[in-house]
Amino acid sequence: MASRIQKIVKDRVSILILEFLQIARQTVDIKRQLLAEFAGTYKALSIAAGYHGYIALEKELIACEKDLGIAAGLRNVGGVRIPAFELKEAKGVVRGYSLVDTSSWLDQTAQLSEKCLETIIELAELQRGLELLGREISRTKRILNALEYLIIPGLQATIKYLYMKFEERDREEKARLKRVKVLLERR
Amino acid sequence: MLSELPYDRLLQECLKGELRVVNAHLPSKQKPLSDLLAEEYPHVMCRDGSMHLFKRRELKYLASLIDDEEQKALLLPILLEVNAGRGEVAVICQGEVEEKVIAKVLDMPVTPRQKKIVLYRPQLALVRKQLRTTTQYLFPPK
Repeated sequence: MASRIQKIVKDRVSILILEFLQIARQTVDIKRQLLAEFAGTYKALSIAAGYHGYIALEKELIACEKDLGIAAGLRNVGGVRIPAFELKEAKGVVRGYSLVDTSSWLDQTAQLSEKCLETIIELAELQRGLELLGREISRTKRILNALEYLIIPGLQATIKYLYMKFEERDREEKARLKRVKVLLERR
Repeated sequence: MLSELPYDRLLQECLKGELRVVNAHLPSKQKPLSDLLAEEYPHVMCRDGSMHLFKRRELKYLASLIDDEEQKALLLPILLEVNAGRGEVAVICQGEVEEKVIAKVLDMPVTPRQKKIVLYRPQLALVRKQLRTTTQYLFPPK
């Protein structure tokens, strides 16, 4: 029974580690992607600011403030609940600012910013997943180590001790019977 | 006689608890891909009462791999059975569509045996990378 639990826990740990490593790799990729996107967005914003001027740009940007819709749920990986976020798709591409008074530079900036936002949400999900998986791995490893080095060896020692005791009792019983037989023969 | 011992009962409880934790996320009912694509928030309810959310991007990816009829036959999430102590995972196939999807994701032909496709660790990593929310692990009590 203890060995069965150990096998299941061992499998769980290996699955959790596999997921952890995969998420870690993805996090690194997404972080790199985000940095590149940020660089592109700031570049586009600088060009747009240079083209329109800060005051005009600010005036246009005030108008395009909007609420962010994120669908949040959970996904479960081997008993660990990891949050899952998804940016709600906006209906149409109305951004709020005047298309007549602004240039395509601003459009490009807005487009790149939206992409950055999507990546930030994905990164948040991955980083939280990484934290939760790390915590669960260390917890499960403690259980596994307790089973592997404490409970199973303890049980094996108890079984061995009991076998020895039974054998000892058997030998004592045989010796007693022999002695009784000798005593009976002497009479 | 052994199962009567208090220590063994404790271990049995521990095993039950562990199985409950690792299998709590299993869906109470799988949904076809075509239905999930039509939902605003594609999700399934789990046995523990929680909600498992699917990524729309993954659903669209799956939809791109198969035709409309197969979308109705593909039940999600796809279950991955972890075989204790054997270092492999089996994809539970209810039809041919799972076989087709896995073959396309892995970019290699796969053969199901007794309604299961055996995946090794590197293949599993590849499948999980592509289908993070549309697959779920199952730990059998055997």
